Formats: sequence, C-alpha cells, structure tokens
Amino acid sequence: MTTYAERVQAPASSSQRLQPTPKGRLFVKWITSTDHKTIGYLYLITSFMWFLVAGVLALLLRAELARPGLQFLSNEQYNQIFTMHGTIMLLMFATPLFVGFANVIMPLQIGAADVAFPRLNMLSYWLYLFGGLMAFGGFLSPGGAASFGWTAYAPLANSQYSPGIGGDLWVIGLAIGGLGTILGGVNFITTIFTMRAPGMTMFRMSIFSWNVLLTSILVLLAFPPLAAAFLGLEADRIFGSHIFDPANGGAMLWQHLFWFFGHPEVYILALPFFGIATEILPVFSRKPVFGYKGLVAATIGIAALSVSVWAHHMFASGQVLLPFFSFMTFLIGVPTGVKFFNWIGTMWGGSVSFETPMLFVLGFLITFLFGGLTGIILASPPLDFAVSASYFVVAHFHYVLFGTVVFAMFGGFYFWWPKMTGHMLNERLGKIHFWTLFFGFHMTFLIQHWLGIKGMPRRYADYLASDGFTTMNTISTIGSFLLALSMIPFLVNVWISRKSPKVTVDDPWGYGASLEWATSCPPPRHNFTSMPRIRSERPAFDLHHPHMAHTDLEGGH
Amino acid sequence: MQFKRGFKLALALSLTTVALTSCSTAKLNGFGYPKGVSSTSNTSLSLWQGAWITAGVVGVFTLILILWPVVFHRRKKGDTTSYGKQTRYNLPAEVAYTVIPFLIVAVLFYYTARDESRITKVDSVATAPHNIHVNAMQWSWQFTYDDAAAKPTVTGTPGQPPVLVLPLGEKVLYTLTASDVDHGFWIPAFMMQMEALPGVTNHLEFAATKLGTFPGRCNILCGRDHSLMLFSVKVVTPTEYQNYISSLKAA
Repeated sequence: MTTYAERVQAPASSSQRLQPTPKGRLFVKWITSTDHKTIGYLYLITSFMWFLVAGVLALLLRAELARPGLQFLSNEQYNQIFTMHGTIMLLMFATPLFVGFANVIMPLQIGAADVAFPRLNMLSYWLYLFGGLMAFGGFLSPGGAASFGWTAYAPLANSQYSPGIGGDLWVIGLAIGGLGTILGGVNFITTIFTMRAPGMTMFRMSIFSWNVLLTSILVLLAFPPLAAAFLGLEADRIFGSHIFDPANGGAMLWQHLFWFFGHPEVYILALPFFGIATEILPVFSRKPVFGYKGLVAATIGIAALSVSVWAHHMFASGQVLLPFFSFMTFLIGVPTGVKFFNWIGTMWGGSVSFETPMLFVLGFLITFLFGGLTGIILASPPLDFAVSASYFVVAHFHYVLFGTVVFAMFGGFYFWWPKMTGHMLNERLGKIHFWTLFFGFHMTFLIQHWLGIKGMPRRYADYLASDGFTTMNTISTIGSFLLALSMIPFLVNVWISRKSPKVTVDDPWGYGASLEWATSCPPPRHNFTSMPRIRSERPAFDLHHPHMAHTDLEGGH
Repeated sequence: MQFKRGFKLALALSLTTVALTSCSTAKLNGFGYPKGVSSTSNTSLSLWQGAWITAGVVGVFTLILILWPVVFHRRKKGDTTSYGKQTRYNLPAEVAYTVIPFLIVAVLFYYTARDESRITKVDSVATAPHNIHVNAMQWSWQFTYDDAAAKPTVTGTPGQPPVLVLPLGEKVLYTLTASDVDHGFWIPAFMMQMEALPGVTNHLEFAATKLGTFPGRCNILCGRDHSLMLFSVKVVTPTEYQNYISSLKAA
C-alpha cells in the first residue's frame, strides 16, 4: 500500500548516453559547470591533490629528521617546507575538502536540486584554486616560499624579518582562498535554510547536513577576522603600516586575531567529518542514529564553545586569563564525549558489519579518542606549560586532525563512491589501504608524544645526537613512509573502479538512511526524478524498508 | 535493568577516577618526567599524573565501549536481513553521559585552577630573592643577573649556546623580553615555559631544586635558525652561584 511515488526504474542517466562525450567538451563542461555535484568533484579532486603534495612535503620533513644533523635541507628550506605543509593541509586540503563533500552530498540529503547560488559556487572554487596556487607559487620565487609557519606570527611575518615575495604570495593567496571559503559558507547556509524538500524539517535533516550548517556558520565567524588580519599584515609588509608593530602590542594582537580564527578552524575541519562518520555508522549497524537530537545539541554546543577557547593556544604567552580559557576548553570535552556515546549507542545492539567505510570510521573513533584525551591534558595550563609547542602538541593535533579529516574522508570516499561515480571501490584493496594507513599513522605519531615530553620542540630542523631523540625520530620517520605507501592501494583502487560493474540500484549498501540513497547512482542533473515522502530523519530507509518505517507522525520515540 | 547497571558502572568508574586524582601520587612514576627538579614540576607533576590516570581510565572505558559492539554485535556470516532493535533515544543514558563527563572535567578544573595559581604567582621585582632578566633575540639568549650590583650579562650565539646558572633551592624571578620576534623560553625538565615577546614584559618565578645541567630551548618559531636557539641550565649550590656572579663581575 505504497501511497508515495516509488521509482519503478532507474531514470535516464549518463550510462544511457549513446556516444561518449569528447574529452575537450567534457573539460569545458566541467570548468563551466554550475552543477553542485560537478563543482563538488572539482573541490574533492583539487583538495586531494593538495593532500598528496603536502604529504610529500611531510615526507621530506620526516626524512630530514630521521637522524641528527642536517641531511639534505637547509634550516630555511626546512622552515619553508613545514610552513607550506601546514598551510596546505589546513587551508588548501581539509577546509576545501569540507566544501567538496558539502557540495556533493548536502543538497542531495536535503532534497534540493542545487545550491542556492550555483554561479557563486563556481566562483568560490576558482578563488580557492588560484588562491592556493598563488600561495604555493612562492616556491618558484627567488627567496622561496613563506617560512614563518602557518601561524604567521607577527612580527616574524613582517617584511623586516621575512622579506621576499614568497611571503606576500602566501598572505594574499590565502586571503583570496579564504574569500572563496566565506562565499561557500554563505551558499550552504542559504541552501539549507531555503531549499529543503517538502517534509524535510530541520529536525529530520541528516546529521551531516546539520554539521555543514554549523560549520558554515563557524566559517562566517572565523574567516572574516582572518581576512582582516591578513590584509593588515600585508599592509604592514608592503605599505609600511604599523598594525602589527610590537611597540603597539602587535605581537599579542596577531596571536588573538589569528587564534580567534584558528580555533574555530579546528572545528570547521572536524564537524563535517564527524558528520560523515555519523552517516556511515547507522548504515553498517542497521540502526538509526542514537540520540539524534542530543547529537544536534552537542554539535551546536561544540560550535558555540569553539569561539570562546581561542586563547588556549596562547596559555604560555603570559598575557591571557588562564582559568576562563581553561574552563571553556575543558567544557568542550563534554559535548565531544556526548558525540562518542551517540556513536557507540548507534552501534550498540545493531547488526554491525565491517565494509571499508565502517573500518575507516572505527579508525577515526579510536584515533580521535586519543587525540581528544591529550586535548584534555593540554587544556590544563600547568600541563600545557610542560609540553606546549613541543612534539606532544604536534602529536595531539595530528591525532585530532588526521584522525578526523583523513580517516573520515576515506570513509566518505568509500561510502559515497558509488553515489558519485556509479561504481563501487574494491573491498579487498580498501582493507589493505585501511590497515596500512592505520598502522602507518600510529607508528608515526604515537611516539611523538614521548618526543615532546622529552623536550623536542616543534618546528626544529635539527636536534643533537646527545638529546636522545634519535631512535624515536627514526621510528616516526619509518612510520610516515608506511603511511605514504597506503596511498598506493587507494589510487589503484580508484583507477580500477572505472571498470567495475555499474551500480544499478539507488542504495548499494542496502540500509542507507538519508535522502541521497533515494536517487540514482550517480544522480541526474537536478538530483531527483521523484521525491519520497519525508516523515523521519531516514527517508531513504523508510522508502526501502517500509515495514520498519518509523515516522515522527506516528508519535512517540 | 541494563541501563541501571551501566549507570552504576559508569558512576563507580568516575568516582574511582576522582579518588585517584586526589589521593597521593607520590609513589607513581612521573609519566615521562623526572621528579623534584623544580618548584614548578613539584606542583605540576601530581596533576600530570592524575590527569593521565583519569585520561587512561576514561580512554580504556570508552575504547571497551567502542570495541564491545564491534566484537559482540557483529553480523553473523550469511546473515543478510537481520536488524537490531531500532532504538532512537534513551533519555536516562543520555543524561548520564552528559553529566558524568561534566563532573570529571569539573574535578580536573579544580586542581588545574589551584595549581596554576600557585605556578603563576610571582613576587614583585623589589621583593624577589633573585632577579634574572632573560632577553631573547634571533637566535640566542641574553641572561642578565639583576641581583648583582654590576648586573653582569651573559650573551650566547647560535654556535655557542649560553649557560643559565641558578642557585639550588632559591626562588628566582625571571623577567622575559624579546628584542625582535616572538620566542619561547622553555626548560622541558622543569615543566615550565613562557613566551618572550617583543613589546611585552613577562614574569615567571620558580626555584630549581636539583643539582645538574638541563637543556633549555626556544620553542616558538623565530626564523631561520630557530633550531639553534638553545641554552643550558646549570643548577649549583648558592655559594657556587655567588662565586659565579662575582666571577662574571670581574670579567
């Protein structure tokens, strides 16, 4: 007794096209597209390229640190490489990766035909692409790329201490890329508020879409101050203004402005990937998200708290109110803990299976758990005084960021690959990929906690044989190469997936919950040929498993 | 009631954690840190131990909860159709896992606030037993012993890192400044650091409580030779310290 419009056969899709599109026309079609999915793919491909570039930079750093003494880099080159590694990973990989996933998935999940401003969407991409290339182009300039760290602390980043066009390219390139991110945020917020399908109330929206909304709000809070700081810094650099002159308190002004961006940025990177994990867990546990409303509330709590903790990056500056920022930082542990229990509750008592997306989510849970716990340690100023700006912090933020962004990214790739391309990725290669990545990652970064405790500062090109850091650094370096090797099975997997059989059903995983699983793989140009009834937060599940359907209208939880 | 059991277990674990945090931790190892090296580490070390025990208990507990369904609720081979119970909410459990983490961080914050006020407490320059002015510059350190009348100064270079000589067991007030860019004054074994910033005067006070030599390093990126901005801390007896100051004056 289906009263809703159920699809009887797959709609016309690219598979039914008679002639292949010539490559040139395909290229023009992609670069002139206003389709949110195509723009999303451009974002995902570009940011993944940057991930590989910054990964190679990381290997150079690890190779240099494998033994004491300078091996093949000078101090200046080392500084340039870690500056660009951090810059690319945070601003040219992870942030646009969020924009990519949000672009591809969010309109599908809320039942929209596109984003609210499709052309602005493409403009954002071009700003991101050329902004990024500009910052990276510093390597081609005579003095090399920026070398003042991705934090660009003034006055080190001014023209007196860091002369050279590389620094200017960095500042302006990132300001341009940041504008693209801001416009992306505007686009997503408008889309979510105005373009949800009939029946898609806010509290039936998937957690990923909720997290895109909150992340976009954080983007609007965090990126404009960063843009202001960058433009001020550039005015200091080329016009000789004195905005960040230390004589006027410029050193602290920069730290405040930068971290007022920098801490919300951590959550801009984390929240969308928490969202991806929350999409994957229910599907492979065959259960709804546990404590959906509490999970939304926790995410709102994290977003709100994330703008009140920036000075915990400045505990050792001696210039901030320690108890306030310490307490707010501890408080973030509460909604983060709530999320963990939501994720555990989702698996609990389910029918849990371990396809590659699920493996990556479990890898994320375990890795991020440890990163969160060391975060609680660092939230305490007396302990922060012991290990701040050491390898302990390097290890902590790689556990948090790699654990979240990279594990959830691969989870999302394996999960949505059929939705995006119409082909499944290979499970065997996926598992090899996961386990190499998992062991490589932990071998690289776990030991860095001890390095920090033993006194190795971050951003050091070298250390002494007598420091006792050698063995730990060598182990870390070996781990990093194992980690790098894990990209090979993934790239092979992507390559061979072209030939794998076409996915002919809407939901190849069988238990998809959100709306993207109620349209074809890949979806048609405007996403849906018919819209199922949306009566709970799992419209696709209700559609495909009507005997299990739960609707809010029936009342009762 | 499965939930009640879970709640009791969680409560017991959190109380154990709190008890472990507050009880004497003198017998525990230092979790990577030597004991009794400075007045700061004497204060911070028990917090460090307590925080790690708490983190360890919470971490293992959560890890078990993550792995439990992975092991015990996994789908049987060949089973393609089973569903678990479609539980969406469990309000008592949700309240518990919100309130218990709050209690844990509240306890951690209490000890944090107590210890941090002890660590950051400084005398005025006039009343401090010893005054040393630490000035950071690209890429070395300058130590001025302000308590001697002649204010003797030791200046290091990246090639020849300077030695900071300290009197055993006596409090020293450090005045931290920088001539050019941001630097970080860090003595890892003492569990203490503070930034030396241009245009800002920072103060720090602690006593070294163990004889010996300890490495010190700049830990805020300060330009090309950041990794050469080292110093060492040599803790000597008060008499030797006075002799050292006199010898500096003579030189």
